[in-house]
Amino acid sequence: MANRTFSIGGSHTADKKLSKDCAIEVLPMPSTVYVSMNQHLGAPAKPLVAAGDTVKVGQVIGEPGGFISAFVHSPASGTVKSVAPRKDLAGNSTLCVEIAVEGDEWVEGVDLSDTLVKAVPEDRAFILDRIRLNGVVGLGGATFPAHVKLNPAPDKKAECLILNGSECEPYLTSDYRMMLEHPSEIIVGAAIMRRALGGCRCVIGIEDNKPEAVASMTKALDELKASGLEGYEDISILPLMKKYPQGGEKQLINAVMGREVKSLGLPIDVGAVVQNVMTAFATYEAVQKNKPLVSNVLTVTGDCLPIEKQHNYKFRIGMPLSYIAEYAGGVPEEAAKIVSGGPMMGKAIANLDAPTVKGSSSLLYLTEDQTRRGKESDCIRCGRCTEACPMGLEPFLLVKLARNAMMDELEANAVQDCIECGCCLYSCPAYIPLLDIIRIGKGDVMKIIKSRPRK
Amino acid sequence: MASRIVSPNPHLHAAVSTRSLMRDVVIALLPATAVSIVFYGWHELLLVAVSVASCVLLEWAITRYLLKKPSTIGDFSAVITGLLLALNVPSTCPWWVLAIGAVVAIGVAKMTFGGLGQNVFNPAITGRVFLLISFPAYMTNWAVPGSIGEAWGSSVVDAVSGATPLGIVKEGLASGMTLDEIYADNGFSYLEMLYSNLGGSAGELCVAALLLGFVYLLVRRVIKPHITLSIWASMFVFAGIFYLIDPSHFTDPVFNLLTGGVMLGSIYMATDYVTSPMSRSGMVVYGVGIGIITMLIRYFGAYPEGISFAILIMNAFVPIINRFCHNKKYGRA
Repeated sequence: MANRTFSIGGSHTADKKLSKDCAIEVLPMPSTVYVSMNQHLGAPAKPLVAAGDTVKVGQVIGEPGGFISAFVHSPASGTVKSVAPRKDLAGNSTLCVEIAVEGDEWVEGVDLSDTLVKAVPEDRAFILDRIRLNGVVGLGGATFPAHVKLNPAPDKKAECLILNGSECEPYLTSDYRMMLEHPSEIIVGAAIMRRALGGCRCVIGIEDNKPEAVASMTKALDELKASGLEGYEDISILPLMKKYPQGGEKQLINAVMGREVKSLGLPIDVGAVVQNVMTAFATYEAVQKNKPLVSNVLTVTGDCLPIEKQHNYKFRIGMPLSYIAEYAGGVPEEAAKIVSGGPMMGKAIANLDAPTVKGSSSLLYLTEDQTRRGKESDCIRCGRCTEACPMGLEPFLLVKLARNAMMDELEANAVQDCIECGCCLYSCPAYIPLLDIIRIGKGDVMKIIKSRPRK
Repeated sequence: MASRIVSPNPHLHAAVSTRSLMRDVVIALLPATAVSIVFYGWHELLLVAVSVASCVLLEWAITRYLLKKPSTIGDFSAVITGLLLALNVPSTCPWWVLAIGAVVAIGVAKMTFGGLGQNVFNPAITGRVFLLISFPAYMTNWAVPGSIGEAWGSSVVDAVSGATPLGIVKEGLASGMTLDEIYADNGFSYLEMLYSNLGGSAGELCVAALLLGFVYLLVRRVIKPHITLSIWASMFVFAGIFYLIDPSHFTDPVFNLLTGGVMLGSIYMATDYVTSPMSRSGMVVYGVGIGIITMLIRYFGAYPEGISFAILIMNAFVPIINRFCHNKKYGRA
């Protein structure tokens, strides 16, 4: 029988996991790192250091700027050179702490050993504190502060923690490598999150194009269950049929639980909490090792790269993208576009000198042939956009409404439900820039919705 | 630093284009076209050539000289219209009738609305119905195909003329015969209808060839099966009910599916993207409508066959179907 997947829409994108067999390598430190204060969803962090200060690895250099915000830690030991705005990868100005790297001296109290700590702490408050103080954010793309999601409002009950190991975007292999190389840490992380949520069940969803990851995670889970320690009951691994965007929060909830989150609602409304496998790893390090989130794994890949130049790197947050690109052997000449993130939802890089952030997951090189859009022609009403939309929307209609600024009709046709996954534009044979136009319409409608007085 | 592209997501494309989809439809029509040429000979080849050439030339001329826009003939849609038009007339039809059909199909039904994607009615069927009403003699002069290659040795004038099974039945019933008597006189068999050498439009000749194209379109995911299957199902159920009531005056369901333009119409013309609904539920409503109207015309109408009219009538309902039928949205009732 075919594995489960979400029920509405989706695209069968090419796999292209070119770098799947490249083991994770640790990148050496550059001479300077630039740590952004705005690398999570929510309010930017407030810098706590000034030029001339010396910092150690893991030292707090930014504090949360609001309820939905996160701590930022120094990824290097050295001297703060400046605290000033710099351009991020899109070219927007963002406050960064510039640190001249002088060594790798960590703050006190961090366990730097590789020993697996299996015992899950009992105390919920302790777990949430460690996650918050160590700056853990969702590493699946949205970088939503992890402790907020793991601490739902008292009237909401988590029934299922869904760990997202689907890595549904083509090309990306960092989650896959982590599931192969650190499955036990990920599962301990899941057990910790589960405890924080009050002991709900946990399902780890992995797409079936990664059977090695399913096998590796299953083996690690069996070993942990056999250890006799508490906290590993009610955790299971669920292979999912490969279909994009399986890793979308709403889609994954539908695939695993068969439920649908209401329009503008939250996953917790249907009893679900979704976290990425990388977030589970960061949670493990934060809680069991008291280690702040100062590194992540990133894939360097693309069809125009020979296999020996494809890599999965463990990088320190704040390393410039250009440094990583140079270290990996330089940007290939054929690369017409460099994408940070997957090819479906990632961002095109305008400024390669931008620093990496907590959520950085790839340097993807695309050739002009791959990424050039065809010339737009008239809609032939084939309905492929509607079939592909995982929210069941009608992109062809939304585009017409948006182009005519028909706001009421846009809202009635649920433009605000769009998750911007790109399936519509991907599948349009007339190359109509569906998502580009819908995104603008959605933004306008969301402004109208937010401006209404609350009932 | 070399200049690079910066644009919003998605950064890849499924590599389907209007052109590739239309080309697939042309490929799906090739078996049926080939069969009709093999059986009906040179004259059929001439009809196909004239029809396709007039459609393509006309679209080119209209975009170039009237609309003064870039030509759209590269999308292959005019080729499909030309092919379908040729397959929808009897092989005995004079070539200039097809040229007139092309003017109506492309000039009137397609380009006056603004070209591919804008037209309300299927161009090929509009052309066909125009010809049927304007040149009834030419449009019902059915040639009964002989054995393979027979037609190639002779001129078309020598071909045996005869009525279609649907026409024979209609006339027979009108003259007071029962179906058993009509069948006994003419000796139809289902097997014969499948690879058929019964009279009809050129493209209706071989149901098997049309089904082959259907499978190709489904495998290549060019069309969804909803419209075609709901036409078949609704015709089957509708005919089944009447057949059970009175088998001596109402033809049976299988006979109805295998005769006339059902296969050609339900697979290649009712599924035309532009003139069919966008949602799956809408496709079913549309298909059921075509099936019922077809059977109403066949059983009770003046014409022996009705699928062309049925598709045109349902084309007109597509905007209202689109208004009320939508795919299920996530997180909404």
